[in-house]
Amino acid sequence: MRDALRPIRGAIDWGELAPLRLRARAVAEGVYAGAHRSARRGAGVEFGGYREYVPGDDLRWLDRRSLLRHERLIVRQFETETDRAVCLVVDASASMGFRGAKAPGAKVAFAAVVAAALARIALGSGDPVSLAFLGGSQNAAPVARSGGREQFERVIAALEAVVPGGDAQVDVGMLDRVLQQLSRTARRGAIVVVLSDLIDLPTDAALRIADIASHGRVLVVVQVLDPTEAEFPFSGTVRLRALEGHAVVETDADATRDQYLGALATLTGTWRDAVLRRGARFVSVTTADDPVRVVREIVEAVR
Amino acid sequence: MTFLTGIALAVALLVVAPYLAHRLRRKRADEQPFPPARLVEPAPPKARRRSRLEDRALFATRSASVVALAVLGATPLVRCSRLSLQRSGGASVAMAIVLDDSMSMRAQVSRGKSRFARAREGARELLASARDGDAVAIVLAGAPARVALAATTDLGAARSAVDAMAESDRATALDDAIVLARGLVSSLPQVDRRIVVLSDLADGHPDAAPLGDSSGVPVWIALPELRGAMADCAVMRADRSGLRVRVALACGPGSTAAGRAVVVESAEGKELGRAQAPQGATAELAVVLPSDEARPARARLAGGDAISADDVAPVVGETPRSAIAVVADSTDEAVATGGAPIVEQALSALKVDVDIRPIPAFPERTEELAPYLGALLDDPPGLTPEQRHALGAFVEGGGLVLVALGPHAASAPLGASLEPVLGHAVGWLETPSGGADPASALGGFAESARSLANLDASRRAALAPEDASALEPMVKWTDGAPMIARRAVGRGEAWIVTLPFSVGASDFALRPAFLSLLDAWVRSARERAAPRRGEVGATWRFPGARTVAAEGPSGTMTTSREDGVVRLVPPLVGEYRVRVDGKDELRVAAPSARELDLRPRSVAPSAAGEGIGERRASVDVSGQVALLLLGLVSVELGLRLRSRRVEAT
Repeated sequence: MRDALRPIRGAIDWGELAPLRLRARAVAEGVYAGAHRSARRGAGVEFGGYREYVPGDDLRWLDRRSLLRHERLIVRQFETETDRAVCLVVDASASMGFRGAKAPGAKVAFAAVVAAALARIALGSGDPVSLAFLGGSQNAAPVARSGGREQFERVIAALEAVVPGGDAQVDVGMLDRVLQQLSRTARRGAIVVVLSDLIDLPTDAALRIADIASHGRVLVVVQVLDPTEAEFPFSGTVRLRALEGHAVVETDADATRDQYLGALATLTGTWRDAVLRRGARFVSVTTADDPVRVVREIVEAVR
Repeated sequence: MTFLTGIALAVALLVVAPYLAHRLRRKRADEQPFPPARLVEPAPPKARRRSRLEDRALFATRSASVVALAVLGATPLVRCSRLSLQRSGGASVAMAIVLDDSMSMRAQVSRGKSRFARAREGARELLASARDGDAVAIVLAGAPARVALAATTDLGAARSAVDAMAESDRATALDDAIVLARGLVSSLPQVDRRIVVLSDLADGHPDAAPLGDSSGVPVWIALPELRGAMADCAVMRADRSGLRVRVALACGPGSTAAGRAVVVESAEGKELGRAQAPQGATAELAVVLPSDEARPARARLAGGDAISADDVAPVVGETPRSAIAVVADSTDEAVATGGAPIVEQALSALKVDVDIRPIPAFPERTEELAPYLGALLDDPPGLTPEQRHALGAFVEGGGLVLVALGPHAASAPLGASLEPVLGHAVGWLETPSGGADPASALGGFAESARSLANLDASRRAALAPEDASALEPMVKWTDGAPMIARRAVGRGEAWIVTLPFSVGASDFALRPAFLSLLDAWVRSARERAAPRRGEVGATWRFPGARTVAAEGPSGTMTTSREDGVVRLVPPLVGEYRVRVDGKDELRVAAPSARELDLRPRSVAPSAAGEGIGERRASVDVSGQVALLLLGLVSVELGLRLRSRRVEAT
């Protein structure tokens, strides 16, 4: 566990995921070219199926027959060909700077690769892309919604410039700032992809982020974990320090492994339930996973 | 143990230091980042885990290092149980090792380890302490004492010689061995010379002079644990005669075979008969076989004693040749004796346990002589060519012939002679001497030859000078001419008496020496015909033999040749099948009775080792301990590296 003892450096520990630009291109090209369709369900002419009603849906599309027959609020969806903005939210808080021994890079580096690949795919389809950070250093400047080849360079530059930082446990406004920004920029039909470890966020963060899925927005929450976090491979007595919240725990790793894995599963389940209940998608990955597979899974979730 | 040794060994108490260090090393676990730490419940480590040593291999290595360090500090004061040479001033040493390979060395010195094995181990230890420039010679003390390795500075050759040595059943010749050893080292340039005796000192003469006292070269009688009186009995011989197997037993002083059974077995190990051994240090008993068809192979003394090798002896059958052919003129003799010729009567009176068969004339065919141990010719009137051919083949093949020369021999008809016994004609002349010279008598005739001092004989057979010179006189006339003589012919012997046995020619047949002559001749004939039984280690000679091949208990044996005579030395008790010029014969090597006496000889005070500064010496094992310490340090480094890698993964 010597690598785990390394101090979290100021910059992103890119590891094997560098350079970001080339890596993102390779990932994007690995994903099926037609996976991203600018098809959104909403007002249109072609019927696109049913889904559960969520607060904020246009009541015009409420299916009354289903309500009478099943006593459930179901809305009808229609497909329309239009451009869809892709809003990328990358968690750059301090915990995302963690890189375990088995990981190819830090969690934020993995999230950056996935975000950049998604941006390239979207921009290639002519859809605008925006980028926002959850936490991060002062120079973690968001990228406004735009399209074109230059936008990809701006996204790459922003992702490369960010330095993990910030404590969501202490900075209670960190999440609010991102949500407010999203509410302003993500219009109906926009695709919002949140890449975060979901670990140190406030307790109500799951519900608040899931609310993004209202107003015709498509939300994909991607939980990015380090393999060390997913497996808890410690042995014997360990002293663990959280990167946010200043929690320090000394424990017998062998005795508490099952308890930890259970707690992590509960946390993940809570997020999954909250997100799915809003009609959004939830993807849980580790940084040891193949980024191509992860991006393809996200694209599939969006369709 | 000196004060310094104690101090050095006290360092070993520091073995607790690694334990304390390992306990203290169990510091608090290193803090490491883990983002979801708040999901982990704190759990204090169990007390058992706290008290457990974290790295047992590392701890063991470090503890061993401390102990090795203490021993290193104590050396060379540590005494090791091994023989070594102490040298004065570091000069080279000339050492003769006398290694006893006699049968008594087969006794066990500890469980599963014989005295010989311990002695050989001691020889190896001595060689291990030798240095370049030291000269080493090795002498074996089994009879006859012999040089196993002449003095050499090649220590590798000495080690090889020691490794090649094996136990034997020989008797002990310690004095001869020490004399040999002294001769080997006394002429060497090394100033520091010594003889090291590795023996149980049981040579059958416990009351003899102390060993190691008279030698000019200092003698060290090492390994006192080899010495000690033990009880031992042996089967000396086992002969079959008809349905009986006669077994001779012998025991060492103070021991008896009474109560132990003697079992006669077949070659397959099947018991054919048994009998209880009687009381006494020596005993002879008979074991009855179930039938004539029984084929006994060995007689075994049941029960255990000090040496098991001598508890078994091969059963040998008596020779089918058990008769003596007597060719005498019965018509002339009958007048004087009123019955059988005097020589026949004398042989009968001796009860020589062989058949006496008078035959009218010497056989002309070799096959007709097959049943006879020997042939006695009293005043033969020469032999025809056919008879001479048969006689020659008989004697060449190991037969014994006794020819008493008289007036008939001197007047042999044309074409008749006594070849191959005598090559020239014999005369019957007046004797210038009145009798035998007792001083010239050899062997068994020393006493009885006096009875021949004043013979009533006017004439005697006169031999040609060539024949006389070829004979070995056993008794001479007072004028130096042979009266009783013998000569080897092939593998047999021809005995000549220059007087006939007829009482008409002389009163030789009436003298006690006549019976002694017949007794010695018959005994010699039996020994030649019967399976030869000799003491183990005694040399068997085969005069006249061209090729000799032997198969003994240890396999094919090698023969040597000395003065043109093939020699064979049986090293082990048992039967030997010897093929002499294509003819098979059986020989038996019997144990030496002296080897049953396991009482050791006394040792001269100067030979105990103290006087010449040699004994179980302190051995500097610093080098070995230092190497061990170095190895332990290397192991510790390896363990620490491995530990780091484990932590890294």
